Amino acid sequence: MIKNYIKTSFRNLWKNRSHSFLNIAGLGIGIACAALIYLWVEDELNYNHHFANRKNLYKVKDQQTYDGTTYVFDATPGKLAEGIKTEIPGIKRTSRATWNSKKLFSAGDKSINEEGYYVDPSFLSMFELKFIKGNAIHAFDQLRSLVITEKMAIKFFGNTEVTGQTLKVDNQQDYIITGVVEDMPTDVSIQFEWLSPFKIYEDNNEWLQQWGSNGIITYVETEPNANIEAINKMMFGFVQTKKSESIAHMFIYPMERWRLYDTFDNGKETEGRIKYVHLFSIIAWIILLIACINFMNLATARSEQRAREVGVRKVLGAGKSKLIAQFIGESLIMAFIAALLSVLILVLVLPAFNGLVEKELSANIFKWNHLSALMGISLLCGLFAGSYPAFYLSSFNPVQVLKGLKLKTNVSAVFVRKGLVILQFSISIILIISTMIIYRQVNHIRQRNLGYNRQELVYLPVEGNVVPHFNAIKYDLQKTGFVENAALSRSMVLQLGSNTGDFNWEGKDPNKQVLITVESVSPEYISTMGMKVKEGRDFYSNIKSDSNNVIINESFAKIINRKNIVGSTVTWGDDSKYTIVGVVNDFVYNNMYGTAAPLILFTDTTSVNYLTVRFKPNSNLSAALPAFEKVMKANNPGYLVEYKFVDESFDQYFKTEKLIGKLAAVFSILAIVISCLGLFGLAAYTAERRTKEIGIRKVLGASVNGLATLLSKDFLILVLISCFIAFPVSYWMMHNWLNDYDYRVAMSWWIFVAAGLLAILIALITVSYQAIKVALTNPVKSLRNE
Amino acid sequence: MIQLEKISKWYNTNGARNFVLKDIHLDIEEGAFLSIMGPSGSGKSTLLNIIGMLDTSDEGNYRFFGESVFDLKEKKRTELYKKNIGYIFQAYHLIDELTVYENIETPLLYQDVKGSERKAMVADMLDRFNMVGKKDLFPSQLSGGQQQLVGIARALIAKPKLLLADEPTGNLNSKQGEEIMELFKKINTEDKITIIQVTHSEKNAAYGDRIIDLLDGRIQQNIQ
Repeated sequence: MIKNYIKTSFRNLWKNRSHSFLNIAGLGIGIACAALIYLWVEDELNYNHHFANRKNLYKVKDQQTYDGTTYVFDATPGKLAEGIKTEIPGIKRTSRATWNSKKLFSAGDKSINEEGYYVDPSFLSMFELKFIKGNAIHAFDQLRSLVITEKMAIKFFGNTEVTGQTLKVDNQQDYIITGVVEDMPTDVSIQFEWLSPFKIYEDNNEWLQQWGSNGIITYVETEPNANIEAINKMMFGFVQTKKSESIAHMFIYPMERWRLYDTFDNGKETEGRIKYVHLFSIIAWIILLIACINFMNLATARSEQRAREVGVRKVLGAGKSKLIAQFIGESLIMAFIAALLSVLILVLVLPAFNGLVEKELSANIFKWNHLSALMGISLLCGLFAGSYPAFYLSSFNPVQVLKGLKLKTNVSAVFVRKGLVILQFSISIILIISTMIIYRQVNHIRQRNLGYNRQELVYLPVEGNVVPHFNAIKYDLQKTGFVENAALSRSMVLQLGSNTGDFNWEGKDPNKQVLITVESVSPEYISTMGMKVKEGRDFYSNIKSDSNNVIINESFAKIINRKNIVGSTVTWGDDSKYTIVGVVNDFVYNNMYGTAAPLILFTDTTSVNYLTVRFKPNSNLSAALPAFEKVMKANNPGYLVEYKFVDESFDQYFKTEKLIGKLAAVFSILAIVISCLGLFGLAAYTAERRTKEIGIRKVLGASVNGLATLLSKDFLILVLISCFIAFPVSYWMMHNWLNDYDYRVAMSWWIFVAAGLLAILIALITVSYQAIKVALTNPVKSLRNE
Repeated sequence: MIQLEKISKWYNTNGARNFVLKDIHLDIEEGAFLSIMGPSGSGKSTLLNIIGMLDTSDEGNYRFFGESVFDLKEKKRTELYKKNIGYIFQAYHLIDELTVYENIETPLLYQDVKGSERKAMVADMLDRFNMVGKKDLFPSQLSGGQQQLVGIARALIAKPKLLLADEPTGNLNSKQGEEIMELFKKINTEDKITIIQVTHSEKNAAYGDRIIDLLDGRIQQNIQ
């Protein structure tokens, strides 16, 4: 019996090759598309799964409230790690860690900048580092020891037999390599090439001894069954037990949420990346739905051709259930062929997709979860897509069918068919509109005026002699003729890392703390960046003359809110008093979508980390950059010149949005392609069905144009209806999405019109091919057939 | 074998009943060869379809081997039907995607006959109709007469007690038609299979041992 069904199925598929192809291709693309999303989602959900102990790993978060707004930071006091480990039950181990920092390593004539952390010895075992050489227990026995990754070992020495070798760090001390660990996979939050004892960092940074200074990361490993709520209860007031006036409240934040959540709005955790994981999971199902709709539509549309077979089989004794089984079986066969096709598509497009999402996804058909997902999806598609046609076809009355009567077009079937086409196109149009708006929003932000000119601006970390020799370097740079100006600063201009609530000024509510960003810069900062002094003056070029003077930004000036702001004073903490000599225009930092938070600039180059260089407008960078490098190397021998462009770093902020934009574009193209495959099939069917009518009309004198219009019109109406469904839905969706951004693009009406027209145009091209083909047929031929 | 009592079937057009069949009484003995005649639209095919359990009447009673057909559940009726009835059509209605062999085999599949048994039965049938050489051809590769032979073979394969034929020779030339009718006669006398055929042709009707004439849904004449 099954053999007979399979035979009929395959012969049927073969007989209607083009129709089967449309069906299988549509479903195959749909499954491939869902598979891509599945791989992406799987990868996101498995982030940090490298750490078997991830359920017990946390980092400490620090929340502080200023003027009713709560901010959440990763920065913690230096003494916190030891304190909570000894005083809070349930905490097994802790480790302090610095932020990822770049150091210059040299061995022989090889010098390379590598990123890593200073960490406590417990870090090595908390994160289960796999030692190729050395071990976690003794790696940090000596002060200047160094654990490096396999990759870094091979870069310097060509092999991993390197314990006992030394590397010079920042052209100063030699560190001894005491361990080599396996490289970190790319899908974990902890990324480093080297690790060194935190003690080294601690010895150079006295502020770590103060409970009021938050500047390092604290990692926590809890006991397996620890009561996290109880721990967090104690964490909340922990700093206050050491420093009662502190407003920093700590809590531990689980590793499992680092990747996909870890965004906070006014102290409350909000959806981070998980939003997109959910979104794309939904899109995967929707695209499968579109593909299944094709299947149903084409199958019911072709029902007339199968009707006679149904009639005959019924007369030969087939019950309804057997016929349903046959048709569902047939759609299962097609679904499985589609699944095979999707594997082929996947193999072909996965490299490109990996490039797009910047991941290393791989599908492994022999991995049980991939295989079962594929089988499950095709089974589901086969059953779902086959169910409606199966019930529809098997319900034919044999007497009517076999009398050779033309089946009366089943009104409800047509209704369902049209409804499904509308659904498909609505989804496609929604996706197109969303893509366009996401792209526009990303472009809108990327073209945002930040308050300074971010073009032709490069920055690099200062190392070696850059700070002491700054004036000479600046002179040499300007002498090249390419460089307009250069400045030093603690942070790179897009990300200002230091803030405090300790400022006071006349007229300030003493009960309120206002969080002010603090930045120390060299006097050339404002002019180098191209910012504008709105009131007062810029810093004098002699750094000493402004040591008690500051420049604030406009939003800080607005908060102080007094006349003659220039000349007034602010105090920091209890005693330090500073005179405001100027107000600089608000420029955007940290939150690229937001407005500038209050800021204060000091002239102070004792703790600067970055050199920013402004090239002359329209300079020939291919000549300017080598000249710049040459000056840097001459003045700071032994260090690499690793600079970045500010505008490129700026673009990095929109990686997620750009990725979402790209993914949305890919999937909306796929959705429309699959929908068009279906539409093409339906148009072909309609054309075929109306051949006789067209023949008669032609004999009566209808023109080819007129006939093509006649045939296309019905479909276009469906697409038009889809537009009216898609417009409000996508408006509502994108309105919500844009609401997350303070600085956002307006939703222009033309986007909707353009998306609608695009859909109509694509549909028209799809349909008109069939329409014109039929309209051009010789009527003698079509009429004779009857 | 078959008892029809007061069978009526109608369509409603503009509120008025339009009878296709009206008060049909008919008893058919096992082993009979009945021809139903009448002009187009007289209700011949409808009557045949009702007897064949493919259609129902709006009024009346139908007993098949004593079972009241209209009162049976669909499953039961299908069971009764596929055990006892074979159908032959004017347009043959072979399944285009199946070969001659597979077409003949299909009814057995629906009766869950075992594979080996099926093979033997189909081989027998092919032999009897001299179609062994054609068993792997598709319907489109056969002439009309040959297609109808396959149709008959298919109808007989499950050893039905009743063979229903709706103008079986309508699409054939007279020579092919005669052959088919001879075959019917043979099946009726040798295999003791009851045959009911609908036909336009007096000549074909004469092969039967009983003729009923339908006009406007009523039996005009019942010639034994």
